[in-house]
Amino acid sequence: MSDFLLENQAARKLIQTLGLPLPVPTRLRRAKGPQDERPLHDDDVVVGAAPGGALADVLARTLTIAGASAWVTTGELSAAFAGPGEAFGRPAHRLPEDGLPDGVRVRALVFDATGLGDPSELRALYDFFHPLVKRLLGCGRVVVIGRPPSSFESAAAAATHAGLEGFVRSLAKELGKRGSTAHVLFVEHGAEDRIEAPLRFLLSARSAFVSGQPVHVGKDVRAPEDGHGPWVRGLAGKIALVTGAARGIGEATAELLAAEGAHVVCLDRPADDALVSQVARRIGGSVLLADLGVPEATATIVEGLRSRHGGVDIVVHNAGITRDKTLAKMKPEAWDQAIEVNLASVVRITAALLEGTLQDGGRVVCLSSVAGIAGNMGQTNYGASKAGIVGYVRRLAKHTTSRGITVNAIAPGFIETRLTAAIPVVIREAGRRLSNLGQGGLPGDVGEAISFLAGPNAHGITGQVLRVCGGALIGA
Amino acid sequence: MSKQIVQPPKGRRAVVVAGLRTPFVKAFAEFLKMDTIALGDATVSALVAQTQLDARHIEAIVWGGVILPGLAPNVAREIALDLRLGAHVEGHTVTRACASGLQAITTAAAAIERGELDVAIAGGSDSTSNAELKLPQKVVHALAPLAFGKATPKDYLGVLAQLMPLSEVLPKMPKIAERTTGQVMGESAEDMANRNEISRGAQDEFAARSHHRAAAGIASGRLRREIAKVETPDGKTVTADTIVRADTSVERLAKLRPVFAKNGTLTAGNSSALTDGAAAVVLMSEERARSLGYTPLAFFRSWAYAGVDPADQLLMGPALAMPAALERAGLSLGEMDLVDMHEAFAAQVLSVLKMLGSAAFARARLGRDAAVGEVDPARLNIYGGSIALGHPFGATGARMVTTMANELRESDRRYALLGICAAGGLGAAAVLERAD
Repeated sequence: MSDFLLENQAARKLIQTLGLPLPVPTRLRRAKGPQDERPLHDDDVVVGAAPGGALADVLARTLTIAGASAWVTTGELSAAFAGPGEAFGRPAHRLPEDGLPDGVRVRALVFDATGLGDPSELRALYDFFHPLVKRLLGCGRVVVIGRPPSSFESAAAAATHAGLEGFVRSLAKELGKRGSTAHVLFVEHGAEDRIEAPLRFLLSARSAFVSGQPVHVGKDVRAPEDGHGPWVRGLAGKIALVTGAARGIGEATAELLAAEGAHVVCLDRPADDALVSQVARRIGGSVLLADLGVPEATATIVEGLRSRHGGVDIVVHNAGITRDKTLAKMKPEAWDQAIEVNLASVVRITAALLEGTLQDGGRVVCLSSVAGIAGNMGQTNYGASKAGIVGYVRRLAKHTTSRGITVNAIAPGFIETRLTAAIPVVIREAGRRLSNLGQGGLPGDVGEAISFLAGPNAHGITGQVLRVCGGALIGA
Repeated sequence: MSKQIVQPPKGRRAVVVAGLRTPFVKAFAEFLKMDTIALGDATVSALVAQTQLDARHIEAIVWGGVILPGLAPNVAREIALDLRLGAHVEGHTVTRACASGLQAITTAAAAIERGELDVAIAGGSDSTSNAELKLPQKVVHALAPLAFGKATPKDYLGVLAQLMPLSEVLPKMPKIAERTTGQVMGESAEDMANRNEISRGAQDEFAARSHHRAAAGIASGRLRREIAKVETPDGKTVTADTIVRADTSVERLAKLRPVFAKNGTLTAGNSSALTDGAAAVVLMSEERARSLGYTPLAFFRSWAYAGVDPADQLLMGPALAMPAALERAGLSLGEMDLVDMHEAFAAQVLSVLKMLGSAAFARARLGRDAAVGEVDPARLNIYGGSIALGHPFGATGARMVTTMANELRESDRRYALLGICAAGGLGAAAVLERAD
């Protein structure tokens, strides 16, 4: 296989037209422009629930307001959907006994598994999904919602809910070739109202490159005092710091956050002044130049954010470097630089910002890496730094709940950037193919996930690692 | 939505003293040779004559229109000049899609109540027959060197080259499509019928009732008094509406084919037709009306305008605007003796009525516990509406205000609620109260 055939769009199209067996991955459905009021506009969604499910009302409200047309499987769901269906002109249909009518294919399947208590009841998953899974459109979505296994006294119940994760991870692998994804939400008791933002994200085209993801929705983070935030231009009036904003994922993230209304402070190295200034000018943001490899950067950042913007609401630690060499051949500088930029500076800067610069209700998003967590040849330094990020957000998140601040990590998989373009073609293509979706992601896919975590209604999610990897076969 | 309750104006009050309209006729028919200004001239001159209003008292004209003439968009001023009402009669023109006519009237009423004016004529007109064909911007830009300056033969060649291929530069037919979504209004209404589960039967029944009530109003002479006869440039005299069908029936309407979707429910019979026409009212401060010897018919207890997402349910605006107007008036739907709604499509009116009666809608969209209320069909559109009478976009508001103001006066009823949907996801509403 030559590089040309794999990466030349015209060549791919021709091969596809001729019906030759080059496995061309499904073109993923991606969202354009900033967040919509109705991300699921006119999407058909089948909603099922195990007996005793706790989410009928919140699902009805969330899906209807998001623009979905629901097919529901139980009388309880019918009753819950009736009100919102009438108010928003989206009456839910009862799913007929013999399944969806001929010819109807749906965008998403959602199952409320919160009522499950015993492993034998997992059969409800089979009964719901087995007949429907073939009726899912390309780039479709599956979301199963359960309770955190650790929240149960009963070990049998814990086993049942832990099983949900294995189910969706496997289903995600089966669906990936057609661009579809599957996820599980673990919702704490009392956090039911907080599933709205993750559901809208995971069911919409904005999560195109997220696959097989468990998401824990908790109630610990203090809810915003001004209530429910807007879905459209949800970051208006917010100040966001994005490090490494000159190119790639940082640039895409800065653009997306700006499109949601945030004023983005674009940070990069003084050497990238021209590039980062262009980004900032294009999105109406500002520039902050600092070299994260030196400790003085912390003061520069804190001072810059305080004096020019009165603080910061969203911090995206995106800047990162690789200094790859097998450990035996690695120079000490290579070790130090990777740890310094990727981890030590993140810890230092965040700690400094938490001292009165990061506003209450703020958002911290750190970039980890699927490869880093899984371990990679020649990346002992990088792996240490990126796995360190995971430990950092899990712990720090517990300290900031009372201030309404969430702290999360994003772990990108194979993303088409300057870094991955430099990988030799065979390895590069393998990197793409070794995932549920059988392709690489785009910087914007990571930006969308960051934008979701930064949103005003995402306070149910903290201390988490969200993988944006297309369901990488190797990794977390 | 504003929660404030506005008390009826205690100081100055703008009152409706008279209203009149042209016959409403199908587009591309009797009024083909009359543009929107000519139609405005016809109705305003008849209104001035009928009310024996001394032009010296008229201070301003406020006019509403949707398809405005490109070279003279301030129709209000053109009417004043055409009719030689006097140079002092200033004028401005407003546009708010199908709510333009009501907008003109509430703008004038606000100016009167603010003390800016004492006597104004407000109304609106539209001539779909005289919509200007738009040349694509590409042609306009290509032709610019020829239009402004001395063109060389080379310029002509250059222009020709830019105009290829020809299909891209042919004039575009005007259509009522949303600029942001590209959806034709009938398609949006079809969507609403589907989403709000409004059946074909219910739509046809509503449309038949509109025709029957309008025909009865005409036959009794009640509506005829609100219509001025119009002399057209080709020497004909038009005296009556041409769209209304006294002899239609649900059975006949049921035979029509859907026009906006293959298995749709909207037909030419249960939609309003493209119409040419004009309507206007005389508004005065109450004090001036009485001193000039006019009988005030009604005044505005409140009005409200609202917006909904045009990509969702385009014509649902009145379901927000009508409750808002009621709230500002401090009145409930149950207290309304009359409800008059613009009938863009039967499906649209029925969708809005369904939402007004829905507690779920009230909770989710209005932040209230109880539904706004059911509208008694006996009080709704008692003389039919736009489906039967036609809908010259800018004129409909003034037609509705005229009919309701007269009805309040003559039938000794107190309150009338108006509701109008408009392109762009807009809704308009007003509460009229009889002036005692």
